[in-house]
Amino acid sequence: MAAVASPTAAEAVNGDGALVRLEGIRRHFPVYRGNLLRRRTGTVKAVDGISINIMPGQTYSLVGESGCGKTTTSRMLLMADEPTDGSIYFDSRPMAQFSGAERRNFRASVQAVFQDPWSSLNPRMRVDQIISEPLITHQRLSRSAVRSQVQELLQVVGLHPFHAERYPHEFSGGQRQRIAIARALSTRPKLIVLDEPVSALDVSIRAQILNLLKELQSSYELSYLLIAHNLATVRYMSHMVGVMYLGKIVEEAPPIELFTDPQHPYTKALISASLPAHPRQQREEIVLTGEVPSPLNPPGGCAFHPRCPFVMERCSTDLPVLREYRPGHATACHLYD
Amino acid sequence: MTNDVILRVEDLQTHFFTRTGIVKAVDGISFELGRGETLGIVGESGSGKSMTAWSILGMVPHPGRIVGGTIDYLGENLLEKSRGEMREIRGSGICMVMQDPLTSLNPVFTVGDQLVETLKLEYEEPKRSLRRRAAELLANVRIPAPEDRLANFPHQMSGGMRQRVVGAISIARAPNLLIADEPTTSLDATIQLQYLRLLKDIQEQTGAAIIFITHDFGIVARMCDRVAVMYAGRIVEQSDVEDMFDHPAHPYTEALLQSVPDLDTDVDTLPSIEGQPPSLDALPEGCSFAPRCPHAWERCQEYPDEFTVAPRHTSRCWRSE
Repeated sequence: MAAVASPTAAEAVNGDGALVRLEGIRRHFPVYRGNLLRRRTGTVKAVDGISINIMPGQTYSLVGESGCGKTTTSRMLLMADEPTDGSIYFDSRPMAQFSGAERRNFRASVQAVFQDPWSSLNPRMRVDQIISEPLITHQRLSRSAVRSQVQELLQVVGLHPFHAERYPHEFSGGQRQRIAIARALSTRPKLIVLDEPVSALDVSIRAQILNLLKELQSSYELSYLLIAHNLATVRYMSHMVGVMYLGKIVEEAPPIELFTDPQHPYTKALISASLPAHPRQQREEIVLTGEVPSPLNPPGGCAFHPRCPFVMERCSTDLPVLREYRPGHATACHLYD
Repeated sequence: MTNDVILRVEDLQTHFFTRTGIVKAVDGISFELGRGETLGIVGESGSGKSMTAWSILGMVPHPGRIVGGTIDYLGENLLEKSRGEMREIRGSGICMVMQDPLTSLNPVFTVGDQLVETLKLEYEEPKRSLRRRAAELLANVRIPAPEDRLANFPHQMSGGMRQRVVGAISIARAPNLLIADEPTTSLDATIQLQYLRLLKDIQEQTGAAIIFITHDFGIVARMCDRVAVMYAGRIVEQSDVEDMFDHPAHPYTEALLQSVPDLDTDVDTLPSIEGQPPSLDALPEGCSFAPRCPHAWERCQEYPDEFTVAPRHTSRCWRSE
């Protein structure tokens, strides 16, 4: 047997005790042509059969290039979109069978923090209105209870109670992101979707926000679904990482294992493309030719094969399945069959 | 790398005259750039790094104005040039590499037309020989079958190819200096790597110097020979690239380098810099980093001089005195 992965990683693979479980999720968008004689000419398989488990109190990260389906996946978790196929389980209950009350509870339990705090906060609302909006939607609270909760939330994210009276334009990027985090926390969620939470912020502010997110995770047992393209950030934040390419997960492993012993050629290329931390540090640079193909006409077999430096004959015909390479570390590549 | 200096900026000051007061976007910076050398100017938004680039290009937007200093390009002060002369220099000697290489081509002209349009400014030759030069340029940026590609429109090419065409246009008139302002922020990691390699390739072929304006120390580590760190309109530290990573002298540089997560090591908590970047219209007296600096003391009430901490390595911090 190969090296033993941590028990939490093994557990995550089985899906026991997962807070959220996605099973065989697909999201296909039909493509039409023509107006009068409208006909369906194709399908974009934005997400094409992914299964992941998000454990309580842990961070699951999705990495991959633009158009690989990361954000579509998160939209389905936020109930902003519905899967074409597959099921989402929340606390082991399938979402499709939710009662009205369960749906409301779910919406309160899953919140989001977006990339750009300049456009994700309404410029016409005061900070206390922004933070309390989800609170008022989901709970019946007296005005004074709302006010005291807002004050508490501001302190939790490192702002001052007097900030409640101000408008978003009076804050810097890092402070705005703190406001967005306070709003996400207001309904006492169990899962927060973090879609590129620091990439729009100044470099000297990023570490503050990442540390705040980590602190909040341990004090409130929060789960995160992190979408990020900076692999170093992913390594710092995550407990499990899924690498996506054209709607599929091609490799999944805990971060240390993924970054020290990547298996899939795409993962290797992504790691080799990340910039060095020191001028003397030389990475073996795997330069991929071309770019991500259109999801409208994905290549047959393994979708990565036209760019893969290790391509074999069967790669263009047989679709590789995600297989455990060692406990807790799975990859979808014919090299390891 | 040679000692042949092509650009020498001295005490450059670019100020903005707004209704509420004077904003000192660039407040007395000096640096030198040798032929074929790559300089990284690192800073956060509002540090003045982009305005430094615009100042060199003579394109400071209203209500900004260069109020002091000199920009010496091949022995001539650019600040004394007329608009027409600057226009000529911008095309042929100093060239801006577009922020988004994928959208900066004109969609209604063929790639060949766009290259010939640029080449026409440099060479008075019949169209046929210009097209031959255009094909050579495409070959230089490693586009296969360049003669056939000249007839293509941008939309017929892949993103990577278009990137190469933009690269070819920027070197069409053999510039001495390329300025790349955040050239890769909109690109995915694997495409970013392709692009950085293309720029290195172009540099090796033409011997041009490059200024990278960036907030990313990773790009500096990958691409640059020299690095200047800007904070609130001034260069707070400047050195050769390895020396900066090995022995950062200014507390800001040191903290910034530590606060970036590293792909190859694990830490429980990242050291972070407290506070916010200062706003330029309300700078503190003395050292502008002092309010966020863990080492600040009384001396910092006064703006620090530039101290030499090692050969070719300067820092504006009283600790280096």
